[in-house]
Amino acid sequence: MLEILTPLFLSLIVGGTLVGIIFGAIPGMTATMAVAVCLPLTYSLGLENGLALLLGLYVGGISGGLVPAILLGIPGTPSSITTTFDGYPMAQRGEGEKALRIGIVSSFVGGIISLIVLWLFAPTLADFAIKFSYVEKFLIIFFAMTVMAALSSDMLMGVFSGVLGVFISLIGTYDISNGGNGELRLIPPGTEYWLESGFSLLPVLIGLFGLAAILEQAEIGVPKGHSAKDLQVGKSSSFSFRIFATNGVNLVRSSLIGTFVGILPGVGGSAASIIAYTNAKTFSKTPEKFGKGEPAGIIASESGNNGLTGGALVPLLSLGIPGDSTTALLIGAFTLQGIQVGPLFIGNNPVTWDAMIIAMLIANVAMFVMMYFAIRYFALVVTIPKHILFPVILMMCVIGAYTINYGIMFDVWTLLIFGVFGWLASKIGIEVAPFIIGFILGPSAEVYFVKSLESFGDLTIFFTKSWIAVLLWVLILGSIVGSVLMSRKQRRMNQ
Amino acid sequence: MGDLTRVTIDFQTSHLIFPTLIACVLGLLGLAVLIRDRSKIAAAVPYWRGVLEGMDKLRFFGALVLTLLYFSLMVPVGNIWPNTGLGFLLCSIPYLLATGLLFMHERPLRQVLPLLIVAVVGPVFVWWLFTYPLFLSLP
Repeated sequence: MLEILTPLFLSLIVGGTLVGIIFGAIPGMTATMAVAVCLPLTYSLGLENGLALLLGLYVGGISGGLVPAILLGIPGTPSSITTTFDGYPMAQRGEGEKALRIGIVSSFVGGIISLIVLWLFAPTLADFAIKFSYVEKFLIIFFAMTVMAALSSDMLMGVFSGVLGVFISLIGTYDISNGGNGELRLIPPGTEYWLESGFSLLPVLIGLFGLAAILEQAEIGVPKGHSAKDLQVGKSSSFSFRIFATNGVNLVRSSLIGTFVGILPGVGGSAASIIAYTNAKTFSKTPEKFGKGEPAGIIASESGNNGLTGGALVPLLSLGIPGDSTTALLIGAFTLQGIQVGPLFIGNNPVTWDAMIIAMLIANVAMFVMMYFAIRYFALVVTIPKHILFPVILMMCVIGAYTINYGIMFDVWTLLIFGVFGWLASKIGIEVAPFIIGFILGPSAEVYFVKSLESFGDLTIFFTKSWIAVLLWVLILGSIVGSVLMSRKQRRMNQ
Repeated sequence: MGDLTRVTIDFQTSHLIFPTLIACVLGLLGLAVLIRDRSKIAAAVPYWRGVLEGMDKLRFFGALVLTLLYFSLMVPVGNIWPNTGLGFLLCSIPYLLATGLLFMHERPLRQVLPLLIVAVVGPVFVWWLFTYPLFLSLP
């Protein structure tokens, strides 16, 4: 295991974490964008080193969002939205640095707890999933799609977005290497040359998470950066670790909530932090203090969203199903290296698995050390002018899309198509997370579905193949019924 | 019942089975969205008018047009010096500069100068990195 720990490996984790924190700390830029932009760099790094960089970016990006959330009241990433509720009021009363440190420690604990869950749980789940036939694999994907849709802010649009993603993923050839017949489908006449292999995953991801985000910023006029004067770091450094003595249960509970939410496919960090925050408020003896600068609120929010990091890797590494948008991008890193994630991944790639665990651990430690001791400097990140950053990011998006398939210009156009689609999606209610997970899982779902029917020749096989299939149907029905009930409750509350 | 659920897959047409099924599901879902959101869809014109009125048109459409130009010119320029990546380099410098200037709110020399440096150094560094150490072709 020690041979993994090369100077390059370590510097990539630390460098990735640093860049991730910077991305997370700048409002409008996210961990997902950081991973999307840096993904092409992993091509020449090899799998372990490439993952070291990306996992550093992931952990740093999720953590960095707390800086503007606390100092400016603007969440750096969607997952820090609940950090603004109590962090900003604390900053306004001169406790900015204290709030930041509470957030940093909570992020660290959340990340470590979720890493432990990942380490213990993913191999077990993968061992179990190895026994799955095409039927169970298809049902797992179906279950993932129903859970994802059920937890969307608009269930119907969530389902629609997921199915649309599947549909678009089917454009191109029915791949012979997957047992298909090599025939083309869903291709408009005259576009066979470009769409023979369909839309490549990575340009789609870079477009949706890179270009679309910048178009959204351009739409609102690329807000001016903040000056150092706007930052309310505060002078008093009254932070003490003793604050966690009275918030231990909240810290662990929120970390576990974040981890569990991460395991559910397609559910992002914002859901993790909102659920953790709501629970902390519900179980608090002083719920009335929440939203007015209560440290427990920051603890719940930050441990919840960092708890997501390990959790989201559980379904990815054991089932091949990404837990959130950022882990969906990690599939790109595996694809670049010709490795398929799924139940066999951990058993067949023990070195990579160890490298990922170590990288996550070091990334969390690096994040903690860097942010805890240099928080005043990281706070200045929010002052970086966007008119310099955004053009550079756009250029990196182009580089990423172009080099991913060794120089295909159509991939650059794909980036533009899906960048504009991502912007349009936000306007018409199409949800990007279900869409992208549908896009990733679509081709596998097709193979498993068609092969199941080819092998057994009967539709009832999806219900009768094994007790696991029956259990999966129970879970699928449970998630559908649960989502309908939740949706009704939400509608009643809105009324 | 047994006959109703029995399915025979013809390998020659197996590429159409799943897309057809998904297209049907998508169509039904689209119909459900149309029925549920009919009032919203009916109000689409005023909605988009509001979106257009509320947006910073110069920056949004300017960024789109610059990006379209950038993508369109990269290959023709690159074809003048094939396999050198100069198409990327020569188009990226003005693109970065133009996009940066477009996104800026005030343009005093003190702010333009750092942008100019980044617009030159950034693409040159990336071009060098991808052309030499990484050996990846650029347009």
